[in-house]
Amino acid sequence: MLPADRRKEELEKKRAKLAELRAAKEARKSALDASRRDSSATDSTSERRDLDDLVSSLVGDRPVSRNRSRDELGTPSSVSSPLDPHVLREALRAPASETARTEKTPADTPAEKPRPTLVSADFVFFDVPPREKVMYTKEIQTETIDFPNADAVEGPDSRSSPNRDAEPLAAEPPAAKTPEPETPPPEPLTEAERKSILSSETFLNFFDYSSKLVERALNEPYDFMTDYAVNDDRIIDDSAGKNVHRVCSFSDERWTRNRSVADCGWSQKHPELLLAAYSKNHASVTDADGVVLIWNLHLRERPEYIFQSQSDVTVAAFSDFHQNLVIGGTYSGQILIWDMRAKSRPVLQSPLSAAGHTHPVYSMRIIGTQNAHNLLTASTDGLVCSWQLDMLAHPQEALDLVHPSNLKSDGISVTTMAFPYNETTTFWVGTEEGSIYQANRYDRAGSKAGINGLDTYNAHYGMVTGLDFHPLSGPADFSDLFLTSSVDWTVKLWRAKSASKPSMVQQAITPLCSFEDADDYVYDVKWSPTHPSMFASVDGSGRFDIYDLNSEIEVPTVSLTTGTGRALNKLAWDKEGRRTALGSSDGLLYIYDLGEISQPRSDEWTTFQRTLAELESR
Amino acid sequence: MPALPPLHSTSVPALPKKSLQKDAVQKDYADVEATLTRITSHTGVQGIVIATHEGSVIRSTLDNIQTQQISTLVTQLAARGKSVVRDLDPEDDLTFLRIRSKKNEILVAETKQYLLITIQNPNELQKGWI
Repeated sequence: MLPADRRKEELEKKRAKLAELRAAKEARKSALDASRRDSSATDSTSERRDLDDLVSSLVGDRPVSRNRSRDELGTPSSVSSPLDPHVLREALRAPASETARTEKTPADTPAEKPRPTLVSADFVFFDVPPREKVMYTKEIQTETIDFPNADAVEGPDSRSSPNRDAEPLAAEPPAAKTPEPETPPPEPLTEAERKSILSSETFLNFFDYSSKLVERALNEPYDFMTDYAVNDDRIIDDSAGKNVHRVCSFSDERWTRNRSVADCGWSQKHPELLLAAYSKNHASVTDADGVVLIWNLHLRERPEYIFQSQSDVTVAAFSDFHQNLVIGGTYSGQILIWDMRAKSRPVLQSPLSAAGHTHPVYSMRIIGTQNAHNLLTASTDGLVCSWQLDMLAHPQEALDLVHPSNLKSDGISVTTMAFPYNETTTFWVGTEEGSIYQANRYDRAGSKAGINGLDTYNAHYGMVTGLDFHPLSGPADFSDLFLTSSVDWTVKLWRAKSASKPSMVQQAITPLCSFEDADDYVYDVKWSPTHPSMFASVDGSGRFDIYDLNSEIEVPTVSLTTGTGRALNKLAWDKEGRRTALGSSDGLLYIYDLGEISQPRSDEWTTFQRTLAELESR
Repeated sequence: MPALPPLHSTSVPALPKKSLQKDAVQKDYADVEATLTRITSHTGVQGIVIATHEGSVIRSTLDNIQTQQISTLVTQLAARGKSVVRDLDPEDDLTFLRIRSKKNEILVAETKQYLLITIQNPNELQKGWI
């Protein structure tokens, strides 16, 4: 059944009911009137009878009247009981005139017993004027504002309201068809209101969040509504995808000015996120010393997150096993953990105590697996500490690296540290003096914890700035190869002495190859994570070199400069080996896309093995 | 490294506040202005309007008439979109609304109290990104 029909039915029913009620009311009213009229005629007799009763009760005798009253009492009760109080009232109201009459009537009644006595009596009608009801309405003192859309609103409303009255049980209000009542245009905010809103906390948070969304949405370069059938006059540079080219550079007016990039890295979980740690801003005293910014490749104008610290951040990395955490080591020796879900201050930090590092932490590495991982940090006083990420109050282990034969001091100052792939107990360090040592974390059969003093790597003449082991990326295993870079303008390739066969006597180890193409300090060197024979290095003149050992050994395959002449401090390959992030000393973070050369062919591994054999035979 | 107060100042030297309690990244009105200018200078962006849910304009980079029009119409549209989303799933809520027309694109980012409306011309975007 259609709701309209049902509504009609119900409407009819209601109307019938109403009519009935009205009719009943009318009937009752007319009955009342009729009975009233009747009662006015019989009033005299009933009145008399009542008075008889009254008098008899007062006097006590007069059996005749009593009988009569008894007889006649039967009838008045049947006439109309609701009229009695009315009658009594009337009776009591005019006692004087009635008592006079009653005196008459008892005298008459015994004589005219069979016949009803008819006495004309004049009544004093008391007109009680209706009590005046004082009514008042509450009104507001302001004037009603006449809205321009009020007429439009009134129309549909008035039309719909009688409908609503008649059918209160309607499921769908008919107003659904009528246009929704428009709210009056909002009052414009005053200047003061605006200012207060603009500075309020909620508004700033809202603006931060929504402007990020909008900027990310605006940055989308692909127009999904392109019509490929239409001829396009745009000239598209075809070669851009193949060569090494710069994608973008990240910098922020507020946060990266006057700072230099101390470290950079990519996120394992989100391939579009990367971080950069910045050093102190010498121009400003009020700004925080250490800043770590998380950048998003899709949001080029501003950092995703801004993390601060009290001391210069010298090394920073995304946590491999926690997708929201960023770990940093500082110039003061503190280890800090920031959380992307929290505010910009570190959520955890190690105390500035003698238990941890007291010298700048320049190398940091998370080793282990998801459930059992440690953070290893090394500072320039030779202390290597192992930390649990949720307990930074004191390190789990502290290992002081000392070289017994070092005459100046026992300690060695570690500038870089690296672990071979999948190794957790032995590592290699590069020092400020230019030497490289192998070290063990624990005592093992045949070797003690600490520096392995027997193997001497005839390393660099200057400070070792970068040390990187070959990642395991393909069928062949080159994980004992490592590269070092130094301020003596060279990059050297070494084959590490196996840790499982510790040497018994002093041995000198020479590099496999030395790359001397650079003419400035080489600040960092890193293997490509996917291409076995490729690595990149950055140097102090702003040069970015990519070496492909399968094609050229002596010189880099590709060599680019950033153009600004400022030194490039750090280099990081992304997970797929497609892009590199370069941090420069003027605070800019460059992203370069390497195009085709970064993708290894299937025979690269075998080629590399042959190359290595060739290098070793030299 | 604590900053030394200036030697010859008459007023009480104020040491730089590096409070660890509250968030020291001071977001304030100046940053809002800077971000607004940056967004407006993006290729193709025609204007930005920040409004409340009722339609009152807090900030705008367009002229008055356009702002009024946009704020009333778009807030109503966003309210309608919000009601649609909530009707489909009562626990859902509208977060972002993007309307593409032949000439323009309207992006609306919405939270509980405010809306950020951006109008841009998407045909000016550059193609090609690896």
